[in-house]
Amino acid sequence: MSTIVDIVMSGLFQGSLYAMIAVGLALVWTTIGVFNFAHGVLMTVGAYIAWQLASSDALGLPIFIALPIALLASAAIGLLMQAAIVRPFIGRPDVVLLAVITTLAAASIFENGTLLIWGPRPMQLPPLAAGTVKIMGIGISAHQLIIILVTPVILAALWFFLTRMRLGLALRAVAQNEDACHLVGLNVAALYGLAFGLAAALAGLAGIFLGGFTFMSPTMGSEPLSKALVVVIFGGLGTIAGPIFAAYIIAFFEAISIYFIGFYWTPALLFAVLILTLMLKPEGLFSRRSRSLA
Amino acid sequence: MSTLLEIRGIETGYGRIKILHDVTLDNASGNIGLFGPNGHGKTTLLRCVSGLLRAWHGEIRFDGQVITNLPPRRIVERGLIHVSQGNRLFPDLTIRETLRLGAFPRRARAQEAQNIERVAALFPKLRERWSQRVRTLSGGERQMVSIAVALMSEPRLLILDEPTLGLAPRIKDELCDAIKLISQAGVKLVVVEQDVEFLLDLADHLYLINHGEVAAEVRPGDSMNHEAIMEMYFGRQTSALT
Amino acid sequence: MSMGVGIGRREITGMVVGAVVLALLPMVVQDSYYRHLLIMVFIYGIVASSWDLSLGYAGIFNFGHMALFGIGLYTYGLATTLLGISPWIALLAGGVLAALAAALISLPILRLKGIYVVLVTFAFGQLVVQLIISQSDYTGGNQGLVRIPSFHIPGHNLMRDHKLGFYYIALILLCCSTVFLRLMVRSRLGLAIRALRDNEEYATSRGISISRQRLITMAGSAVFTGLAGAFYGAYFRNASTDVFGASLTTLLLSMVLLGGISTIYGSLLAALLLTIFSEMIAGLGAWRPIVIGVLIILVMLAYPGGLYGAIAAAARALRRLGRRQASP
Repeated sequence: MSTIVDIVMSGLFQGSLYAMIAVGLALVWTTIGVFNFAHGVLMTVGAYIAWQLASSDALGLPIFIALPIALLASAAIGLLMQAAIVRPFIGRPDVVLLAVITTLAAASIFENGTLLIWGPRPMQLPPLAAGTVKIMGIGISAHQLIIILVTPVILAALWFFLTRMRLGLALRAVAQNEDACHLVGLNVAALYGLAFGLAAALAGLAGIFLGGFTFMSPTMGSEPLSKALVVVIFGGLGTIAGPIFAAYIIAFFEAISIYFIGFYWTPALLFAVLILTLMLKPEGLFSRRSRSLA
Repeated sequence: MSTLLEIRGIETGYGRIKILHDVTLDNASGNIGLFGPNGHGKTTLLRCVSGLLRAWHGEIRFDGQVITNLPPRRIVERGLIHVSQGNRLFPDLTIRETLRLGAFPRRARAQEAQNIERVAALFPKLRERWSQRVRTLSGGERQMVSIAVALMSEPRLLILDEPTLGLAPRIKDELCDAIKLISQAGVKLVVVEQDVEFLLDLADHLYLINHGEVAAEVRPGDSMNHEAIMEMYFGRQTSALT
Repeated sequence: MSMGVGIGRREITGMVVGAVVLALLPMVVQDSYYRHLLIMVFIYGIVASSWDLSLGYAGIFNFGHMALFGIGLYTYGLATTLLGISPWIALLAGGVLAALAAALISLPILRLKGIYVVLVTFAFGQLVVQLIISQSDYTGGNQGLVRIPSFHIPGHNLMRDHKLGFYYIALILLCCSTVFLRLMVRSRLGLAIRALRDNEEYATSRGISISRQRLITMAGSAVFTGLAGAFYGAYFRNASTDVFGASLTTLLLSMVLLGGISTIYGSLLAALLLTIFSEMIAGLGAWRPIVIGVLIILVMLAYPGGLYGAIAAAARALRRLGRRQASP
């Protein structure tokens, strides 16, 4: 019984993190048509900014004040990044390739920048809430529980924004037809910035979630990013819902696999399953052919 | 009646290839009709007017104010709305979502509910498919959505680029009636159309665009009949061939 | 450029002259640091030009290329330390295993398009790293493999010849690799992969099999990359997962892109410039990848067509200037 609770809790927790990261990747892909390899370092940067604001070794602000500031800062960094290294290539036929190299370069810059500013020493963020909660005989930290509960709310809010609000509709429209967007009077450049900024804020939030749970390091974003890659391959990048489902499925798969097969071989098993899935269904499990949000 | 749209000496093109050579349309009264062979600059001119394509030279005025090379959204805000050719629109949005997007310009938001009613009355067919995705609609229905979206933006001047392209005659008539109603409501039109009958029905002042220039014009007072237009059209083409 | 099959006479002459010049270079360059620089240029040149085969010529968005280098490196390291296999055989094994891994990774990407190829190949690289780290009993995990045996040449001490031996081994690898890559792109297969890249539908309608060509291209791009990885292990005598990291990936990728894709020689030229630049600023520590990253972004912004594009633009400008002066 406790094993099952353990697996369920672990699946929900990891799934929340993966979903939060993967949704940001899908948001940028569907609107701008580029893949952001700096998404992982945006997590790292968000977590470190929050640390700077909230840690008792630094400014020591309460986490609920530090959190929104850190998210705004992440969004601003994402926005600037978009303007500097993505926007200039929009419209070129090789934009995908150029954006891969510039976002990889940005990842390298930010990773080493974090190392220079905060050093290699592992650090920890204050958790969102202290203490542990007992669920069916299993202790789980309040921090993790909050993440499990809050993530679906945030994802639902994002879904609401993209399907019910005019600005969200505009984001989805940009993904589908840029010229027509100009003709209904949308500010396409601003929408690109918004998509990137929003994705960066989601990445920053994921980083803060992670930083309150494990130790932070300048390379903390790379492993979750590689998991998110697997998630978006499974779920397809073309929609928002696909990666969310895939995130939870993969997290549960991992939790079960770690329990029965062990920690070391789980990545290899996951990858083998991924390759098999792709050979059978190349477009991902839930994706449609076109790029579109929601 | 002063002219709403004035175009003077426009030159533009794609890359290094010049498509329009010194196009001037500054004396139009009433609805403007553009015709001429394909690939001779009609769509290019419209894209330049709505800001999708930069003008290299010349000036475009809308309601007396210069709008040359403004960002498209600034032009939309002034009420110059371009319904482009082909109408791919946003395939994965529903009709209702697409119309909401049409009311994006600030000026149009206050009138949104009213405009929705107006559009629904104009195109009753669309109301039945309110929450259907645009990609599932027929060509005619998609054209109606395109015009409906434009109406949501509170147009003062509506540019229609070949609205009946590839449509069945019955749908064409339906669309023509709707466009007439729009015009009667006080919206000025610029129409590009291959169907001369349709064009004569809607436009007051016709311009023949050939080789990137205004090759001929038919003023409102001139006798405009089908044959005369066809002769102008094909006469030029055959002379160009020989 | 003619679309003929095979390497032209002028190019063969150029290759021979280039090889002879490089072979004679150590007589002038006596300092072992500069020889080390050239060895690094050769290694990165092999890796970048091989990457150009898959990324540039075949248009396969392969972003797991550095994993193939890493596989060569760890194959060599594990084979020599754990299994005690002769270094020369382990070197070959590095190339063979990298080619097998590339063939394996081609299977899922054969039917994929665009960004999904990027994701799968990138994820493949991440998987290799995770496997290496998780099997730390054998691979040393994050600490890496140390004290890897190096090559042994009877009657010659590679450690005390001011890097002359390593220089020639690397040069031989580079020459073989370049001839191999040029033969591949000038062969019927090379024409076929370019045809596939430029117009997939047309090429398949003419009976070109996508799967087979992509598989052969990927394996072909892996052989010398794996050999270079193995050589890297023998040269530095240690192996770490740093070779999979964003910094080295970006550096190598920028050689391919700055060299202008689909120009094997362009990547070699870019490898020369970027390796020397990167080694010159090695003292900057963590600033080094930042400087390189900023530089790459700036060059991409200024010349999205790559260094070759920049050189071509400069040549055009010079010609124009020349004409103007010739006809005043």
